[in-house]
Amino acid sequence: MRLAIALFLALALAAPLGAQTRRSTVGSDDTPAVSFRPFFVGAAQQLAAKNTFKAVFGQSVQPFWGGGLQVALGGGIYIEIGVSRFKKTGQRAFVNNGQAFPLGIPLTATITPVEVSGGYRFRVSPRVLPYAGAGISRYAYIETSDFADAGENVDATHTGFLVVGGVELRVHRWVGVGVDFQYTHIPGILGSGGVSKELGENDLGGTALRVKVLVGR
Amino acid sequence: MPSFRVPLVLIALSVGFVEIFGVAGRGQTADIAPLDVVVGLGLPAVDRGVISGSSRVPDSPETRVRRSIRLSSATPDRIGASGVRYVPGRVIVKFRDGVSTPARLSTLSIASRTASMSERPAYANFDVVRIDTSEDAEAVAQALGQRPDVEYAQAAYRLHTEFKPNDPYYATRQWNLPLIDLERAWDIQPQAGSSITVAVVDTGIAYTNATITQTAGAWVEGCVDRAPDCVPGPRPALGRLTLPYAAAPQLGAISRFVAPHDFIWDTSTPLDLDGHGTHVSGTIGQLTNDGIGTAGVAFGVKLMPVKVIDGDWDDILGAPNFGTDDIVARGIRYAADNGAKVLNLSIGRSSPSDCGTRPTQAGCSPIIEDAVRYAVSKGAFLAVAGGNDFEDGNPTQLIPEICSRVNGCVSVAAVDPLKQHSFFSSTGSWIELAAPGGSNRGFSEGGFIWQQTFDFKYTDTFLQPPARYDAPRFDVLGYIGYIGTSQATPHVVGVAAMLMQQGITDPAAVEAALEKFATDLGDPGRDSLYGFGLINARNALRGLGIGK
Repeated sequence: MRLAIALFLALALAAPLGAQTRRSTVGSDDTPAVSFRPFFVGAAQQLAAKNTFKAVFGQSVQPFWGGGLQVALGGGIYIEIGVSRFKKTGQRAFVNNGQAFPLGIPLTATITPVEVSGGYRFRVSPRVLPYAGAGISRYAYIETSDFADAGENVDATHTGFLVVGGVELRVHRWVGVGVDFQYTHIPGILGSGGVSKELGENDLGGTALRVKVLVGR
Repeated sequence: MPSFRVPLVLIALSVGFVEIFGVAGRGQTADIAPLDVVVGLGLPAVDRGVISGSSRVPDSPETRVRRSIRLSSATPDRIGASGVRYVPGRVIVKFRDGVSTPARLSTLSIASRTASMSERPAYANFDVVRIDTSEDAEAVAQALGQRPDVEYAQAAYRLHTEFKPNDPYYATRQWNLPLIDLERAWDIQPQAGSSITVAVVDTGIAYTNATITQTAGAWVEGCVDRAPDCVPGPRPALGRLTLPYAAAPQLGAISRFVAPHDFIWDTSTPLDLDGHGTHVSGTIGQLTNDGIGTAGVAFGVKLMPVKVIDGDWDDILGAPNFGTDDIVARGIRYAADNGAKVLNLSIGRSSPSDCGTRPTQAGCSPIIEDAVRYAVSKGAFLAVAGGNDFEDGNPTQLIPEICSRVNGCVSVAAVDPLKQHSFFSSTGSWIELAAPGGSNRGFSEGGFIWQQTFDFKYTDTFLQPPARYDAPRFDVLGYIGYIGTSQATPHVVGVAAMLMQQGITDPAAVEAALEKFATDLGDPGRDSLYGFGLINARNALRGLGIGK
């Protein structure tokens, strides 16, 4: 996890320099052959384990915030690494016949996805660039709650896959805004215990509406 | 309290004088008069402590009951990355000696833009720094801890009591409460069911001081279910009696009791003339952590005494009703209609085994089944004693069998201190849960369930030979050991009340939680001895997380 954050920061800090060194190689459309574009991302994710999250947090759509680095290669291909985070305190619950009973015992869940993906940007116009991609996502999941004995909290990671599609709008020479939908499937963390087991939900991923602000050309 | 005692004594003596001499020579009549109860007229109970052959404790009738359980704090604590709860908005810092105030403030401002420091609190060699409550106190502490002028820094982690009642018999006699992991359940819910009313549908409760005036007629001792030395034959009429009656001090003040009702005497003063209901009530909600006597499971609950079973003295004194199906059914409906959210039924009888499919055959009880379903439909959870007839043919038990078909009602078997099936505990497919009911085989007194109730030496005078048969007194109490599924049931009821307070408000969900978190005993899964297993209060109350 720390390695991923360090990698992200290193890449993010390096990105402006990279962009500058390649400014002289800009093609006829003033787009460099390779550009490094740090981005910030906010997402509203409809979690796949929606009844589980609704039982604990009262709602199944949760915010993720993060950032990353996109490397746009020549010919529309890009690769991207990003990290985001969700942290929220809800309450432990009991579920019976689909009805959830919150128990007032604080539970804090932290989800930290590290995602590596690649895809293609279609140049519809200089200002509108639809894109689509796929990749892998490694979710770190930490769950702590009051009155826990050793072994009763959760600290797990698991890798799944993602697919993404959206459109990037160039709002400025150096700034693009991407809006996309990303589907993530992360098995192996949920479903073996707790509310998620009771409700038969074993996917920690979901479908996110993401807004990205990319800096770079 | 002492200021009231002298007038109370005078009033009691006056009433006694009038009653004794006013009715002299009247003798026994066949009339059945309503039980004449003057509530509040009477002295506090005499507490004889543990009643056993080898031990005594000092009397303590004047001891004022104290409650020292703190309510849970309303402070919205936060859980740090370490998993430990802390109070947000503050960080504890120990600066190195010699660091100037400007340097300290500079260090603080580097770690947190909102940090401010006020005067050092008394008895502290550290400072408490205030930060915005939205900031991560652990992160700020970590940042401060890395500064060269800081010796250490930490968040203001919250400590809580490792609650263990200080009631003296809790440690020495109440094996039953730790057996269901109750101490950790109390940590989760220190209020122990304070917003819940539990109806004790039983022989009544010793919930108020009173003076009872009634005529005791002659009767015949048949020595059924009596001790081997029972002397059969007629017992004389005792005539008009004035009986002292005292509340069990360890059940709390009268304000704790709501909507009392007596279906045996058709009154609103369901005084326990047997001791069973008082003992059961103690396991449910005995005052706890007051340094006196024993502890109870859900010691914060309100209690609703609903008397549906007649004791021997009810019969001798001529009670108009008996503990029959209709009376019990009315009692259940009454409790549900008057706000009880949990009902304790440490009562029972045998029945045919197929009442579920042939409910109208002799021995079944559609009216009790209706009453049970009615109570559940009103949002009440019921726990019922599974029966004590294992060695008496192990017949099907009526109400437990009904409960096994109703979500929101559970039947309870008994286990001994080793979590083994109690020798008396009925078994069958209707058993759903197990709880401590005790055993005296191999455990002697150590296997009893202890609670405060009447000293039988003073109440069960009808067990004496005719020459020594005398009026009872209901104002001498002590700590008595019982065993039975009657004693197992109130454990389940207490935990159910705590679950209701914790947020599981649906009776069927309460049953599901108790069964899901029960510790499986015997054969894997549900079995006829233990049902789903021994209840686990802590796990049931803590519920489920997302992934574990």
